[in-house]
Amino acid sequence: MDSFLQERFRRYYSSAAVPAPRRFTRREYGFVFFDQAGMTRHVGFKRHDELLELLRERAPAHVYHSSAYYETPDAGTMQEKGWMGADLIFDLDADHLPGAEHMRYEEMLAMVRQELTKLVSFLTEDFGFTDDELSLYFSGGRGYHCHVVHPEVLPLESQERREIVDYITGRGLDLDAMLREKTIARRGKMSQTALEIAPPTAPGWRGKISRDIVAFFQELKDMEQDEAMQLLTSFEGIGEKTARGIIDDVTGERIERIRRGKIDQSTYIKKIMPQLVKRCAVELRGEPDEPVTGDVKRLIRQPGSLHGKTGLRVTPVSLDDIQDFDPLRDAVVFDDEPIQMELQHPVEITMMEQSFTLEKGSAAVPEYLAVLLAGRNVATI
Amino acid sequence: MDVTQLARYPFLNEARQLVKEEGVRTEEILHDPIYERARSLGRQRVNDAVEQGVVGDYPAASETDALMNIFSYPIARVIVASVSSGYATGRYALSEAKRAYEYLRDEDDGLLVAVAGEFDLDIRDDMAVYFTDYLEHAPTWSDSWKLVNMPLKEGWISLQKRQLARLLQNAIQDAIYHEVRQMEPPSEVRNVFEEEVTRLRTLMEERQMQREADMGEVTVTKLPPCIRQLLAAAQSGVNVPHVGRFALVSFLHAVGMDTDDIVALFGGSPDFSRGKTRYQIEHITGKVSGTEYTPPSCSSITTWGLCPAEKMDSICKRVKHPLGYYRIKSRARRNNG
Repeated sequence: MDSFLQERFRRYYSSAAVPAPRRFTRREYGFVFFDQAGMTRHVGFKRHDELLELLRERAPAHVYHSSAYYETPDAGTMQEKGWMGADLIFDLDADHLPGAEHMRYEEMLAMVRQELTKLVSFLTEDFGFTDDELSLYFSGGRGYHCHVVHPEVLPLESQERREIVDYITGRGLDLDAMLREKTIARRGKMSQTALEIAPPTAPGWRGKISRDIVAFFQELKDMEQDEAMQLLTSFEGIGEKTARGIIDDVTGERIERIRRGKIDQSTYIKKIMPQLVKRCAVELRGEPDEPVTGDVKRLIRQPGSLHGKTGLRVTPVSLDDIQDFDPLRDAVVFDDEPIQMELQHPVEITMMEQSFTLEKGSAAVPEYLAVLLAGRNVATI
Repeated sequence: MDVTQLARYPFLNEARQLVKEEGVRTEEILHDPIYERARSLGRQRVNDAVEQGVVGDYPAASETDALMNIFSYPIARVIVASVSSGYATGRYALSEAKRAYEYLRDEDDGLLVAVAGEFDLDIRDDMAVYFTDYLEHAPTWSDSWKLVNMPLKEGWISLQKRQLARLLQNAIQDAIYHEVRQMEPPSEVRNVFEEEVTRLRTLMEERQMQREADMGEVTVTKLPPCIRQLLAAAQSGVNVPHVGRFALVSFLHAVGMDTDDIVALFGGSPDFSRGKTRYQIEHITGKVSGTEYTPPSCSSITTWGLCPAEKMDSICKRVKHPLGYYRIKSRARRNNG
């Protein structure tokens, strides 16, 4: 007999329009069933109908397809499958973000959304992908996936994909190269040097860092004295005297010079530069999960399917709507029919734009919340 | 290109075309005294490459010299193909490519762009290359070549001439390696160059034995398939990605090999630089960084795409870590011996 969850999933799949991924027949599919341990892999389909039929009949807890294309997707070993190429996949998950363990579910999701915006700007500005080459999905769990579909990325090997991740996470970035000590005058053994950064228009990380540095000084200039002092002294090795010196020295004219790459004249400003470069690099880096992108044989969640631990749908997110997307509204597929539940813990959550504050014990909650709580094992029927 | 310049790049289509247009039969190239100079240069190309890792700057001042120089290249290829050793082919391909690099970095931009075109590399007017081509050919295991340190903009990376020449070196090396590995030279080649082929084969076998002896207590048969495969790749001149090097070095260190022995193992790698290799190894083993890295587990190895699933054996299925495999094998050996 179906559990509560499986029964609701079955209802969803009886009429759900789960789309066929591109090159449908070349993909491997994988399933986790409610009544069976482990994952069933190496499944291939000839027709879209066959997938829909399986979803209707078995109502799986989790549905995946490969990012890779194979000659024989249902073969049992990688050797026999015959790898033909793979989409480039990025996974942003709250689990990997600093501080996420202390956040509420909604807060986590909001933070990952910021990361998604950052990732998209790397992919479009630095890597030159166009909007229609990127597909974004809410994962149904705690994050987002980005699929890049472009003929040139298909053959990329694991190592090459990891280089792309390293670019986005800034791993291996040569920070020393961001600041250049340039000799401007020489007399005998004495020489005068000037500190330079790349112009903000420079391509790659050098320009990014420079833009962030200019923005930092601009913001600093517009700050109240107290606030500015607090910000500056939060840098390692910057005491009150240096901080005050910087505040005095950051004039509109100096910011203009910095914009042209020149960090000269003020010894105070020079002093904070190495730390500032480091901080900018940390702020600017993206956080996609490396193993996911590096794995060219990975199974990823099937768009349109449900996540077995939340009942939320793997939902496409349009590039323009990232900020407005609310998973706890836009990825909900279930109804508000009241269900009597037994809660093991108190729960506080905003779903379908309604806040719920539930005590431990029994309560009637809308179906969509009941599914979420049952999936997360917080409540039983 | 005039013949003298073409002699620097005998792998280009134009050089191939020239050899073809001369209309010389294989028979003549192999036996006619007129081509003795080309044959002897061909032998020298191979010997220099395999033994010293360089292909020299052979005379090409006169037109005849240049022609013989160009002819010696296809001859060298069939000799290497007859030795039929991945290691020898790797060394040869690298040496030819390095020679081309030395010339290329001083050529006009236009010539580099043309050469790039032959290797399917699109170069924009501002000498920029698309990032996927960059990733395929750049030595990104070295920090200064990592993508993150490149001026990437809208998918393109603008390169200096020296950098483009280095990418071409890699593209040339890959192309020569694969072409030679796929060749099936006529048996006549083996008869004519029997001396070289036999000598090089013996040399390859000796080096192989030497490498195995260098392993000392760490015998190859105790290594799990993933590590064995990485070791073979490092020794035969296939470029091993840095995660692969990391897995290999940290593993060998964990089973008790010292830095000198590990450096010696990498001696076969085509891009081998003793100083750099030593530094990398000491970094991983903790001498430089102070952090001693433990070798990656089976799941990491799989994630990194380094697990040769088709070579997995019954012991692999019992363990979750390559070191576990090694321990089981070591125990089995003690019990049997």
